[in-house]
Amino acid sequence: MRLPSIRSFGPTVWGIGLFLILLAGSAPRIPVFLLTLIIGLLIWATLAYSLNLITGLTGYVSFGHVVFMALGGYALAYGVGTLNLPPVAGVALGAVVGAALALGIGLLTLRFRGVYFAIATLVIAIAALYIVLEVKELGDGQGLYLNVGFQPLAMFYTIWVILAVEIGLTYIITHGRIGYGLRSIKSDEDAANTLGINAPRLKLFVYTLSGLFAGAAGGVYAWNVSGAFPYQAFDLGFSLQMLAMIVIGGMGTLLGPLIGTVAVYLPSQIFLTIPVLSGLQAIVIGVVVVVIALFVPGGIVGTLQKYIPEFRGILE
Amino acid sequence: MTRVLEVSNVHKYFGGVRAVQGVSLTVEEGHVVGLIGPNGSGKSTLLNVMAGVSKPTAGSVMLDGRRIDNMPAHRVVELGIAKTHQIPKPFLGMTTRDNVGVAVLYGSRKDRDLGRAFDEANWVLRLVGLEPHAETLAANLTVQDRKRLELARVIATGCRILLLDEVFAGLSPDELREAMGLFTRLQKEIGFGALVVEHVMRAVLTLSDRVIVIDEGRKIAEGPPQAVVRQPAVIEAYLGREAARAAT
Repeated sequence: MRLPSIRSFGPTVWGIGLFLILLAGSAPRIPVFLLTLIIGLLIWATLAYSLNLITGLTGYVSFGHVVFMALGGYALAYGVGTLNLPPVAGVALGAVVGAALALGIGLLTLRFRGVYFAIATLVIAIAALYIVLEVKELGDGQGLYLNVGFQPLAMFYTIWVILAVEIGLTYIITHGRIGYGLRSIKSDEDAANTLGINAPRLKLFVYTLSGLFAGAAGGVYAWNVSGAFPYQAFDLGFSLQMLAMIVIGGMGTLLGPLIGTVAVYLPSQIFLTIPVLSGLQAIVIGVVVVVIALFVPGGIVGTLQKYIPEFRGILE
Repeated sequence: MTRVLEVSNVHKYFGGVRAVQGVSLTVEEGHVVGLIGPNGSGKSTLLNVMAGVSKPTAGSVMLDGRRIDNMPAHRVVELGIAKTHQIPKPFLGMTTRDNVGVAVLYGSRKDRDLGRAFDEANWVLRLVGLEPHAETLAANLTVQDRKRLELARVIATGCRILLLDEVFAGLSPDELREAMGLFTRLQKEIGFGALVVEHVMRAVLTLSDRVIVIDEGRKIAEGPPQAVVRQPAVIEAYLGREAARAAT
């Protein structure tokens, strides 16, 4: 199947665009409890698309995305709490910190392939917590509290813009020259190198972009929970949840991360409200991911494309 | 300007294994050089060194007087040298056209325009006879077509010197005749230089302007095809009687 040209948006782009525009237009009239839920959904969608940039597009499985998210959160808490920046500037700081970290970590870890890259990112995620615990400026192990009040609409529009830009960039990247390079790397990195593709640079580019968006999303997350706290922020469960979202939705696709976020995030919120079930959500997510990875490796979008030919031209 | 690839006294050791021990050779644009030798004589290792896939232990590889042996593989392609894989390595989940399109987009031309790149890819597909399979996933191509695709991709890079690792191996007599005809046609039309590593003697002797024989990592003979294979040492030690018969 040949991908449509970059100028001719397919139904998937129109669909996602319409969804986002309707959301933005109705936000001021949405009751606060529902808006809070939607802010959480958009934060997680941003994280899922962020992981999709590296893991979905290159096949490099990163367990370390929680690091960009957590330190993006710390950057916001430090910027707003200590430097007295407005929250939006704090989010921008989180994005910069996320991108810088990804650039540094990527230079080190993207030399490893397959399971070794996954292990390296996992080790960094664990080490990062213990480094942050020792830093006095970052709360000396207690975390950073914020006192900016609850600003649902400001948070909503901030994360909305970030997500819209991220999905737009994902579209541009996958439909352009870089997309062909990335698909080649994902398929066979050695062969890609021998056709003139600078694989290290391309991987580092998408990894840095990925860190930027995860850092920004982490910033909004910290804004939403009024602070950054080490044991919550560096929860490896966050990394796993992002991974679950793209595996379930469909890795490397344009729509998959959004579908995966809805499929994982909404049930998990419902589970949390029922005391008896709240401990079960991780188990359920784990089982679902294993089943999907084993039996429907394309996730929801990949499976629809595979078995329903009519969807091939529609779903991306 | 005619491009010249020059290998000088290259050594390549893997631990205690001395795969290549001081080989020198040149490949010029427009000329076809055959590289033959028994299994394990270091042919593929030498090709990998020339393509920047691995670094020589000692010695140098120069393109038009510029040293390239310390460059990564993708840089070597940018400068104009491309290599096929002994076992074809197509991007399985991509169509045949996309496989070739990637080579145009990233090879030595670096044409960033998708439209032009795929026009070029279509031209190459027509040239090698893969046009009917343009929309086929590479995973569904036959072995013969995968070899064609390897050839199509290196041509699509726009490189002027091609390193071809056993592109004629494993073909039936009919397929071989067809593939050799195709190669001759392409070489005439495009004018690239090629280093052809091959076990199929008929192909090497027919296609090459010059043949180099290596054994145990050393060059033991070089010259016009018919002259080289008549050297007694080459016949007895490395080619066997059957190949000697084919040569006469």
